[in-house]
Amino acid sequence: MKNPSGKSLMHTSLMEQLISELKVKIVDLLDLTNIQPEDIDADGPLIGGKLELDSIDVLEMVIMIEKDYGVRIENRELGEKVFANLAAMATYIADNTPGPLK
Amino acid sequence: MTGVRIFIIGMGAVSPLGSGVAETRAALAAGRSHLGPLSLFETPDNTPLPVGQVRISLDRQPIPRTHQLARLAADQAMASCRVAPDAVVVGTTTGGMRTTEDLLKEGVVDPAAYRWHAAGSVAEDIADRVGCKGAVLTVSTACSSGAVALKLALAMLRTGKARRVLAGGVDSLCRLTYYGFNALKLIDPFGARPFDKDRRGMSVGEGAAMLMLVADDSHNAVAEFLGAGLSCDAYHPTAPHPEGRGAYAAMVSAIDDAGLTAADVDYINLHGTGTPDNDLAEARAVKRLFGDRPPPVSSFKGAAGHPLAAAGALGAVTVAICIDAQLIPANTGTCHPDPELRLNPVTRPLQAGLGTVLVNSFGFGGNNAAVVIGAPAAERQRADADVPRPMLVTSSACMTGAGTTDRTMTRLNAGESCKGVLRLDDISAILPAHRVRRLKCLPRMVMALAEDARTRSGTKDPPATIFFGTGWGALSETHAFLKGLYETGERFPSPTDFIGSVHNAPAGQVAMMFGTTGANVTTTGGDASFEQALIAAGYLGREEGRTTLVVGADEYHEPLSALFDPSVRADEIPSAGGAALLLNPDSTAAGVTVFPAFYARAAKDADFTATLVNSLGGPERIRARFGALLAGIPAAQRQTGVAQLEAFRASSGITLPVIDYRKLIGEFASASAVALFMAVTFTQTGTIPAPLCNGRSTRLADKGTLVMGFGNHVTAVEVLRR
Repeated sequence: MKNPSGKSLMHTSLMEQLISELKVKIVDLLDLTNIQPEDIDADGPLIGGKLELDSIDVLEMVIMIEKDYGVRIENRELGEKVFANLAAMATYIADNTPGPLK
Repeated sequence: MTGVRIFIIGMGAVSPLGSGVAETRAALAAGRSHLGPLSLFETPDNTPLPVGQVRISLDRQPIPRTHQLARLAADQAMASCRVAPDAVVVGTTTGGMRTTEDLLKEGVVDPAAYRWHAAGSVAEDIADRVGCKGAVLTVSTACSSGAVALKLALAMLRTGKARRVLAGGVDSLCRLTYYGFNALKLIDPFGARPFDKDRRGMSVGEGAAMLMLVADDSHNAVAEFLGAGLSCDAYHPTAPHPEGRGAYAAMVSAIDDAGLTAADVDYINLHGTGTPDNDLAEARAVKRLFGDRPPPVSSFKGAAGHPLAAAGALGAVTVAICIDAQLIPANTGTCHPDPELRLNPVTRPLQAGLGTVLVNSFGFGGNNAAVVIGAPAAERQRADADVPRPMLVTSSACMTGAGTTDRTMTRLNAGESCKGVLRLDDISAILPAHRVRRLKCLPRMVMALAEDARTRSGTKDPPATIFFGTGWGALSETHAFLKGLYETGERFPSPTDFIGSVHNAPAGQVAMMFGTTGANVTTTGGDASFEQALIAAGYLGREEGRTTLVVGADEYHEPLSALFDPSVRADEIPSAGGAALLLNPDSTAAGVTVFPAFYARAAKDADFTATLVNSLGGPERIRARFGALLAGIPAAQRQTGVAQLEAFRASSGITLPVIDYRKLIGEFASASAVALFMAVTFTQTGTIPAPLCNGRSTRLADKGTLVMGFGNHVTAVEVLRR
């Protein structure tokens, strides 16, 4: 993905770390009791896919991303891109977070 | 035609448009926006969103803002009426929430401070104020509450069970709704612009609207209340069905109920909140019903915001004013009607005669209502109404601290206590995990009870309608929302918790689980909440040959249950539970029936007990028909309740075994639902186990069981074999 901020140079390991972190958060946040974080496919569809997430889950993730990463997702069109899959979500967070990723 | 006609003879309205009919009328004629930044409480970074706030000064003490708004509207509606109403029916969701939020934020632990929290306390306050001694009912179906309250009032009046009813809706702005709708991303930062192509959402509002309705007396009538219809989307907790399926059904039902056709409608006061999804779905439903040339349409929510539970009642007052003023109000806030909707709302107030008007009001849980108001014309036809009658029990289920149905019955048969609180996993053990993933306690209880009752009925047929009574609603969600809000400096509350916090969320979940698209009504009112649901089912639950589901349930929440409910405080053992019954109000088949025969707030006058005994057919009938009495005496009203029970026993001359059931199943507002389950079971088997009757097994033979409630409310439900 193109990234004018230059953060795309971030090491792959950092991105992998963010994706792992998000997996844990999503399982916890959305009460996905039957799913282990590592079972989530970072490139698989989040909504309507195996996870059976819906629009309310998206709202919870919007709030979580704003609260934990300071990244706001203001409209539905952007949301559709960001929540396409976990990799897209992580990339958007990495590209837009105001501070360094931990 | 011999049917009864219902007239509006008094109206009150308090909203951002003004206080009273005259101010509201002037605002509607002017068509300006009354939205402005919230000033009721502080917001983070001092960036309040536009809201529909009532700008008159209201004293903060001693009662919450919702109650104050309701009092103003009720006083206006009653101003020209010298006779007290027979019944009061109020739709509200917030109750004392605005005050409770402050108290919880400050960490107040004195229960007395929370005494006005209950949604049902608004209607009771109004009833006291206007001197109503009859039924006081509270409907809590989120944003359609006010319209659903009107529907229930209409049914009571048509059957002759009441001659004068004060009905309406009210909600005050509070953190729960302001931040909740924001968390759902449903707020337009520039103020609501219903049906505009650039619309981005709603503006949260507040207000109260009350209507004094009378049967068959057109003297001083402002307008005639012609009909109303209810439906449920059974689609999603918050989003409307994309094609407006439920909105269409509610409109069709309302117009049919009024004995009219779509062609008779001169103007539609739309729900039109300004959210992209609502306006699209509603436009599609209107097109489907009215074709490509619908009558003029507009929504007042760009001018006043969305007053939530007051919306439907304010809509009814608005159109009654407009019929009188020959005015079509503007769809304020809209500059560029959305071409995709192919629905051109009226952009400025118009002068036009109106004979018949449709008002739409929809809410969370897919709860839809529509009402039809007309000019008080001299000649109209009215159909006869269905008088509530005993409802055949087709199946029943219960849940207590002892466990689900069978475990509870085993304990009860042995005369053992069923007090206690079940673990969350045990509550929803029979439900698929994915269905309850985001749900906390109360919706799981209600869904599990409903599913259990359906399984026991031996049929897969879903009920046609759903009625749910709860004393306190979803306390876990309410508490979690406010906790999350405060812990994040009022920035990041959970949208899921907000969705789940409305009283009608559990019934909405059941509707989705079953695909039940008929009326879906949630009632609340302390220890008589479940009886209210039974009463509502009697009036609104009848569908040809089909069943209705009636549920009563309350969870135990630490710390809210004890803060709110004095009877919970009075018992050392926390308890929770409920019951579900599948009833067929349309059947005349043999079996066990239930019938809510008496419902009133307790009064001290001597006539009260006599009225109660008479409503059950007099002492002889009571002795002949009933073999046992299940008495519900809430712990906090023990002394009063026992005295009432003794007065009833003395007056009716009964010597029946009395089962003091709360001592067995515990203290929770809807304990009477479990008692009704017990009564149905005993009447079906014809015996009451010995341990429950001082060691002597009681044979009921063909007699029934009476389930009564004492204390602040006195209620009687007849369980009979026929």
